[in-house]
Amino acid sequence: MTATLQKKICMLGGFSVGKTSLVKRYVQSVFSETYLTTVGVKIDKKTVDLSDRIVNLILWDLAGEDDINSFRMTNMRGAAGYVLVADGTRPSTLDVALSLRQRVEAEYGPLPFVLLLNKSDLKEQWAIGDAEIAELRQNGRWVRLSSARTGEGVEDAFKDLAVRATS
Amino acid sequence: MSTSPDILEVLLRPPSGEESIDRKTLAGLLIEIAQSLKPELRAQQNGVRPGDLQFEQLRTLLVGREIETLSRLTGLVDDPERLAAAIGRVLPTAIAQATSDARMGHVLAPVMERAAESSIRTNPGTLINILYPMIVPAIRKSIGETIDETFQRLNQTLKYSLTWRGLKWRWEAWRTGSSFAEVVLRHTLVYQVEHVFLIHRHTGLLIAHVSAENASSQDPQLVSSMLVAIQDFVRDSFSGAEHQGLDQLRLGELRLWSEPGPFAALVAVIRGDPPEGLHDTLRNTLSRIHAERHHALERFDGDSSGLADVEARLRDLVALGEHAPPRVSLARTVVLGFLVLLLILAGTWAASWWHTQQLWQGYLERLRALPGIVITEAGERDGKFVVSGLRDPLAVDPQAVLREAGVNPAWVIASWVPYQALDPQSVLRRLEASLDPPPSVTLAIADDRIVARGSAPRPWLDRAYAVAQALPAGAPGFDLAGVRNEDEADEQQWQAYVEWLRSEPGIVITHSEAHNGNLVVSGLRDPLAVDPLKLLGAAGIDPARVEAHFEPYQGLDPQSVLRRLNASLAPPPSITLAIAGNRILAQGSAPRAWLERAHADAQALPAGAPAFDLAGVRNEDEADEQQWQAYVEWLRSEPGIVITKSEARDGKFLVSGLRDPLAVDPLKLMGEVGIDPARVEVHFEPYEGLDPQFVLKRLQASLNPPPGVTLAVEGDRIVAQGSASSPWIERARRAGNLLPAGAPVFDVSAVRNVSEGALGKLRDAIQARSIRFDNNVMLPAAGQDEILDQLAVELIELAKLSSSLNVISRVTLTGHSDAKGQGTSNLSLSVARAEAVRALLNKRGVDPDQLAVRGAGPLEPLEADTSEAARSVNRRVSFSVGFEEQP
Repeated sequence: MTATLQKKICMLGGFSVGKTSLVKRYVQSVFSETYLTTVGVKIDKKTVDLSDRIVNLILWDLAGEDDINSFRMTNMRGAAGYVLVADGTRPSTLDVALSLRQRVEAEYGPLPFVLLLNKSDLKEQWAIGDAEIAELRQNGRWVRLSSARTGEGVEDAFKDLAVRATS
Repeated sequence: MSTSPDILEVLLRPPSGEESIDRKTLAGLLIEIAQSLKPELRAQQNGVRPGDLQFEQLRTLLVGREIETLSRLTGLVDDPERLAAAIGRVLPTAIAQATSDARMGHVLAPVMERAAESSIRTNPGTLINILYPMIVPAIRKSIGETIDETFQRLNQTLKYSLTWRGLKWRWEAWRTGSSFAEVVLRHTLVYQVEHVFLIHRHTGLLIAHVSAENASSQDPQLVSSMLVAIQDFVRDSFSGAEHQGLDQLRLGELRLWSEPGPFAALVAVIRGDPPEGLHDTLRNTLSRIHAERHHALERFDGDSSGLADVEARLRDLVALGEHAPPRVSLARTVVLGFLVLLLILAGTWAASWWHTQQLWQGYLERLRALPGIVITEAGERDGKFVVSGLRDPLAVDPQAVLREAGVNPAWVIASWVPYQALDPQSVLRRLEASLDPPPSVTLAIADDRIVARGSAPRPWLDRAYAVAQALPAGAPGFDLAGVRNEDEADEQQWQAYVEWLRSEPGIVITHSEAHNGNLVVSGLRDPLAVDPLKLLGAAGIDPARVEAHFEPYQGLDPQSVLRRLNASLAPPPSITLAIAGNRILAQGSAPRAWLERAHADAQALPAGAPAFDLAGVRNEDEADEQQWQAYVEWLRSEPGIVITKSEARDGKFLVSGLRDPLAVDPLKLMGEVGIDPARVEVHFEPYEGLDPQFVLKRLQASLNPPPGVTLAVEGDRIVAQGSASSPWIERARRAGNLLPAGAPVFDVSAVRNVSEGALGKLRDAIQARSIRFDNNVMLPAAGQDEILDQLAVELIELAKLSSSLNVISRVTLTGHSDAKGQGTSNLSLSVARAEAVRALLNKRGVDPDQLAVRGAGPLEPLEADTSEAARSVNRRVSFSVGFEEQP
């Protein structure tokens, strides 16, 4: 094991936005997905090779719930950053993601995060306008389009996060 | 306040060079302040002269502000309260700044101790409230673990203390000088710490991980995070407090023990059954790591490169596990000594074993030789001798043999199934036990047979014969031929008596026996048979020895039957009963009642009994009976009498039936027939006979026909003839109609009505006549005599004719008047006129008794009284004729 650095990263997002499928192909996973439904958390690991070091992102995939009040904030404790996931075909999930971010910031202060607008491969059903995305970007958010199917944006997002969490 | 001269000098001196404050001057000032602070200093300088006013003013001018400040400060210092307040304001800052100074702790420690002590003494509650949440869980946990440990040790101690292994360990404890519990623990730690994780509590990131060589697990980084997540999950789900968490998990024989520390948690994965003491080891390691790497742990941000040395500590834990039992090298002498001892013991034991075996074999030999004992199995089991087999209950007791053979009964487990041995000795023993022969009998074995000799009473002999019969196949024979029966003479006497009884008629012997000197006889006995007890004396048998049971029965032999008939029928002296062949003949004469009873008895004799012949008995009552029969026949022939029952019983006669009251009286007939009415009981119910004779009689009684009428039976009819008045004829016809159905017809059509014919014509002629009168005259008018003459002739004729017809004719003369004049005089005039006519008729030969007179006055006019002609017609005497039956 050459990596000497670990960071706790949480994956947050509304119900069925595709968090789990997003990372499924790109992470090292040993636990079954039933943990999500039983314990509410599933731990995966994403190793990111930065030029000078290797960072192990310990991904806490938190069960997605549309009712953000039932979100268990304790799981965020000690996180070095987080990934917000929203479903690009369902604008309501973007609201959920943004309000989750607000709750996290209220409790743990500003942390590095990436906002993934997932399911970018479903162009026909895409429901978030470019202007809106641009506005989000303008407000200084790291917004990326992603697709669990094509893998678009996933690696970059983790790399971004690794860099920012370790800087 | 006073000022010292040197201070003055200092103040008056011009400022020298660059030095703004002369040291000397400053010293003076300080002394002044000191004097102000400490009055006793001032007292030491009594020699100082108080300054003058100018000087004082100067001083005020120069240092007035400082003096004021000084005075304020002095006031502050002098007043403890204000001083305290001032220091209080700066104290926290001062202490905070002084914290870096190591002495601070030393200085404060005793004060703090005293303060804490005093505080606890005055109000222990506060401290308890503060400490409680921290201490109680710790205490609870500690107690829990101690109890667990105690139980574990107790379990192990109990488990091992009495076994061979346990003894071995006791030996080891004694030899090594350690406690038995420790030894047990050392040998029974069947566990291995497979993994140790040091996990950063805040982030859940893995700080260090060590695993045993043979242990495998998933990526420890993921595992540690998941553990934290699960801990969080459990805590959140069941609202545990922050400092609490899962400290134990168990999956089969894997245990997961978690020890929380301030910054890092130590999680050990243990396979097997760890001692509770391992908790302490884990906790100690964790606290040591915290002590050594406090800062590194606190600041851990995912970079574990600086914590590599922690792994060494963890490795110590992974080394924990099952220890191999310590090898002890025994001293050679001890080994030798032990071996020798072992040999001696083995030798002794072998010798003892051999001896015991010998004894045992000897015992078995003896047993085999004993009659009535069969050994089926003999061997050893669990260090004991086992023997089992069959044993005749009368055979020698194996326990006794055991003692004789010198075998310790405690070594032996014997099980004997009882059986009957068939060897002559056993059989003889059993016979002696069961038959208990009297002293006069001896039993002995002769040529595989058992022979009995001597004499014995019959009961014993019987019993012995029965036993001999019941001996099983294969048993030796039991010969009783040599035993004389002591009771033979008695038995013969008894036999003779029983034979005698048997020959007696009316006695049936069903059972007789001589038993134990008692004689029993039972059977059936006709009550009329001879008394068996009386025969006893004749047979020379003591009645006290005899028990006789006879059920009464009817003997069917002719003698018994004759006896019984004599007893039950009590024949009169005129009868003799006798046996003739197989029949019983009765001869003589007897009354009917007795004969009937005898016939009934003869009928009731059971099948098989001799016949009872009554043909030879004459009936004494035959004449009487014939007389009675004749009487009853007579009664039957009488009309109006119906006999429903008649019988002759016990010399009495009984007759009953229906009798028309008009029929003949049966009692009267009795006298005529010559039967004594006292012997007869008569019951007749009255009824109405429909026999024509009785109907005729009843009609005659009820109709009372006049002399001119006769009633007679003609065949089925009753016919009336003659002449009668019409009322009687009417009455008779009505009576005929009222006769019941089935009665003879009553014919009255042949009766002539007297009112018709010559008498009727005569009557009509008389009634057509009337005698006229003049006004207010009581004698007839002129010219009426001729009419009176004719009338007299007619009346005489009427009387004659009536008499010939048995009828009484009554003629009524009614006088009438016209309506003129007084009513009363008219009435009396009318009566007078009728009387006058009767007298005139009497003169002409008419019987006046035949004539009745009445006056009607003017009330019955022939014509309406409107004219003289009509009045003339109305003044008259009229005649009416009636007939009556002759009384």
